[in-house]
Amino acid sequence: MIFGKRNREATDNELMQQIVAGDQTAFGQLYHRYKDRMYYYFYRMLGNSPELANDFLQELFMKLIEKPESFNPKFSFPTWFYSVANNMCKNEYRRREIRREYRTAEALESKIDYINDSSVGQEQLIVKVFATLDQLGEEPRSAFLLRYREGFSVKDIAEILELPEGTVKSRLFYARKVLAEKLNYLKDEVEF
Amino acid sequence: MIKKDHEQFYSGLLKNDQVGKPDAAIEDRLMYSFMLKSGASKPRQNSFASFFGWLFSVQSLGLKTGLLSVILFFSVMNNQIGIESGSVTATDSLFTKRVLVADSTSVIQNIDSIRPDSLN
Repeated sequence: MIFGKRNREATDNELMQQIVAGDQTAFGQLYHRYKDRMYYYFYRMLGNSPELANDFLQELFMKLIEKPESFNPKFSFPTWFYSVANNMCKNEYRRREIRREYRTAEALESKIDYINDSSVGQEQLIVKVFATLDQLGEEPRSAFLLRYREGFSVKDIAEILELPEGTVKSRLFYARKVLAEKLNYLKDEVEF
Repeated sequence: MIKKDHEQFYSGLLKNDQVGKPDAAIEDRLMYSFMLKSGASKPRQNSFASFFGWLFSVQSLGLKTGLLSVILFFSVMNNQIGIESGSVTATDSLFTKRVLVADSTSVIQNIDSIRPDSLN
């Protein structure tokens, strides 16, 4: 307790204030707190590529180093951080010119294999789920990840994706609907 | 059989999903960039805020009192053993030098000399 140092773990917002003041230790703490989460987000958002996920992770934190003052401490740090990450993904999609129209579930039927084999393992299931999400487009995939991986509320997701809450709900509903059709064999175990 | 709801099912599925770890070299590069940025934007500085916070708080009073006593002791003793201590200019051309020695005896030296500046 000498020199007023506290044992309590600093909040994200406190760490950001210290980073603005040039505290490298605070930056290290924040990096360790978010590196795996952001890596996962980029990995799944950018076509399951470890190289791209690493590049984007580095670029995201470089943005934080270059302009830490762009974070407004009145807002939640994770919401702001994920919105920066999501904008980076959007720019990447634009760059690749792979923005797609949202397909209807019917249109997807011919392209996505149904998962009818009840013996399918967890890994295979994940692969199929993300193959389905990849074809739904950027927003349903992002909303799905933020909701079920990160546990954000619909309100937070709306802030991150800069969409109305109703649109977020409909994106999630749409993703669930398509997935429920694909995971039909699980209907006895899961209430879709 | 109790069915899972979709929240439980998808959360469980995604939270158990492992995609590996980010490259460890990223951290080194970021730390280096942070150091460069901090060094370029302003002079390196240490914050004394937490020290002053501790100094003016009520904690560690014994330690602070001890430190203060030591500082006070040395500052007083330093004055006492100074060679020029007690030197008083009495008149225009007379110095009275009161020398304090360790056994507390005062030795008064009257130096009758012409001050160099009075010759001008």
